[in-house]
Amino acid sequence: MIKVENIYKNFGKKSVLCGVNLEVCSGQTLVIVGSSGVGKSILLKTIVGLIKPESGSVTIDNVDITKCAPSDLQKIQKKMGYVFQEAALFDSLNIFENVAFGLRTLTNLDEQGIRNRVVKCLAMVGLKNVEHLKPANLSGGMKKRVAIARTISYKPNYIFYDEPTTGLDPIMSDIISDLIISLKKDLNVSSIVVTHDMNSAYKIADKIMMIYEGKIIFSGAPEEVKSTDNEYVQQFVKGSRYGPIQQTDRIFEME
Amino acid sequence: MKQTLNVFQFYKTKQTFIYEIVEGLGKTVCMVLETFSYIFKFDINFQSTVNQMVEVGWRSTPIVLLTSFFTGMVLALQVGTATSNLFNEPVYVGTVTGFSMVIELGPVLTAIVVTGRVGAAITAELGTMKVTEQLDALYTLGTNPVRYLAVSRLLACFFMLPILTVISNIVGIYGGLILSTNTWGLPSCTYLSQSLDFMTVRTFLHGFIKSFFFALIIVIVACYKGFNAKNGAEGVGKSVTESVVTSMVLILIADYFLTFLLVTLRIK
Repeated sequence: MIKVENIYKNFGKKSVLCGVNLEVCSGQTLVIVGSSGVGKSILLKTIVGLIKPESGSVTIDNVDITKCAPSDLQKIQKKMGYVFQEAALFDSLNIFENVAFGLRTLTNLDEQGIRNRVVKCLAMVGLKNVEHLKPANLSGGMKKRVAIARTISYKPNYIFYDEPTTGLDPIMSDIISDLIISLKKDLNVSSIVVTHDMNSAYKIADKIMMIYEGKIIFSGAPEEVKSTDNEYVQQFVKGSRYGPIQQTDRIFEME
Repeated sequence: MKQTLNVFQFYKTKQTFIYEIVEGLGKTVCMVLETFSYIFKFDINFQSTVNQMVEVGWRSTPIVLLTSFFTGMVLALQVGTATSNLFNEPVYVGTVTGFSMVIELGPVLTAIVVTGRVGAAITAELGTMKVTEQLDALYTLGTNPVRYLAVSRLLACFFMLPILTVISNIVGIYGGLILSTNTWGLPSCTYLSQSLDFMTVRTFLHGFIKSFFFALIIVIVACYKGFNAKNGAEGVGKSVTESVVTSMVLILIADYFLTFLLVTLRIK
C-alpha cells in the first residue's frame, strides 16, 4: 500500500506541493490530473524517492521512504517501476538492452529468460523487430512504449506512469490503457498514473484526483468526476479556457 | 536606504556564492567517497571499465602523439636557438628536452589533452543523461549512477593516463631527436645520451606519480559537473565548459604543489 501524508515541496520560494495526502491500496489505480506545471510529476517523483520532500511522509509497504536508509530505499525501489514522461531510455544501449536492463539488475533470469521476456514485453506494447535499434532511431511514441516495456519487464508491484499516453495515437493510447488494466488484473499491480488524457483516465482509474496550486482539490471515482459540481474539475474536464483555472496568470507568474 | 539595500544584496550574493562553493565541495567529497567505496568493495563493471579504457587510452593516443611530438620539437628548437646565441653552438638540447618532457610537459600536456577530449566527453554524456532523466531511470532500475557510470571512468582514467604520459614522454623526446639531428646536426647518439644519462628512476617517477593525481582530478571534476548539470542543452554546454576550465586550472595548481612535495621527498 502507498500512503502519502502531508507532503510539502518547495523550489526556492515557489511552493509546488502544499500538504498533499493520498492513499493507494493494493491493486488499485489512482489517476492524478491537473493543468501543466501544477506539480503532478514532482509528486510522482517524491513518492518513488527521486525527490526529497521538505516535510511529510511517503509510506510504501509500511516503510517511510523519506526517512529510511539508502539501502532500504533501494530495496523498496526494486518493487517500483517508473515510466518517465520523456521515456528516459539509455541512449548508448539498443532497445533490447534498454528493456533487459531492469531484468539484469533486479531479477535472476538467465540470458534465454531475459531474451524471451524482452520480446514478450515489447510485443505487449505493440513493438516487433526493434530490438537492435538505438533509441535515437525511434519516434517519440515508440520510445514511450519501450519505456513502458522496460518498466513492466521485471514485474514491479507498483508502477508509476508519468503521462503514458502523451504522444501516442488514439489506438495506441487505448492499447496502453488496456495494458495498465490487465497488469492490475493479472499481477495485482498498484498504479499511480499522471495524465491529461481524460478518456484514458476514465477507463483505467479506480480513483481520480485533481491537483491545483499544490493541493488535492478533488478526489473521487470516475463517475463522480463526471457528475461533480466542482467548477475547477468541470473546467479541466471540459478543456475550457473560461473558469477559475487561469492559465495566463500561471504563465505570467512563472516568468 | 538604497545604499543599505545594495550592501545587503552584496552580502546576500556573497553568502550564496560561499554556500554554493561549500555545497559543491561537500557533494564532490561524497561522490568521491562513494566511488572509492565501490572500488574497494570490488563492485566493478569490468566490461564497462574496458570500454572506457579504450575510449580514454586508445582513442586519445593519436592526439597525445601529435601534441607530444611537436612539443618535443619546439623544445629542442628553443633550447638549441637559445644555447646557440649564448655559446655559439646548441648544447644541452637532449638534456633539457628529456627532463622537461619527463618531469613536467609529458604529464601536464597529456592531462590537458585528456581533459579536453575525455573530461569534456564524460561531462557531456553524464550531463545529457541527467537532463533527460536517464540518471533517475537508473535509480528506478535499482542501479546507483555513481557505481554504474563513475567507477569505470575513474578506473579507466587512473590506469590509462599514466600509460599515455609514458608514451608522451617517449614521443616528445623522439620529436626533439628528429629536430636536433635535422636542424642542429646533432648525432642521435649524442642527443640520446644527453637525454638519458642524467635521468634516474626517480626522475621518471616524478612525472609518473603526477599523472595519477591528474587522472583523479579529470574524472572527479568531469563526473561532478555531469551529475549536476541542469537546464537542458544550454546547461549541459555550460557544465562542459566549467568542467574543462576547472580541470585545467586544478591540474596546473596541483602540478605546483605536487612538484613541491615530490622535490621535498627527493623524488626528482
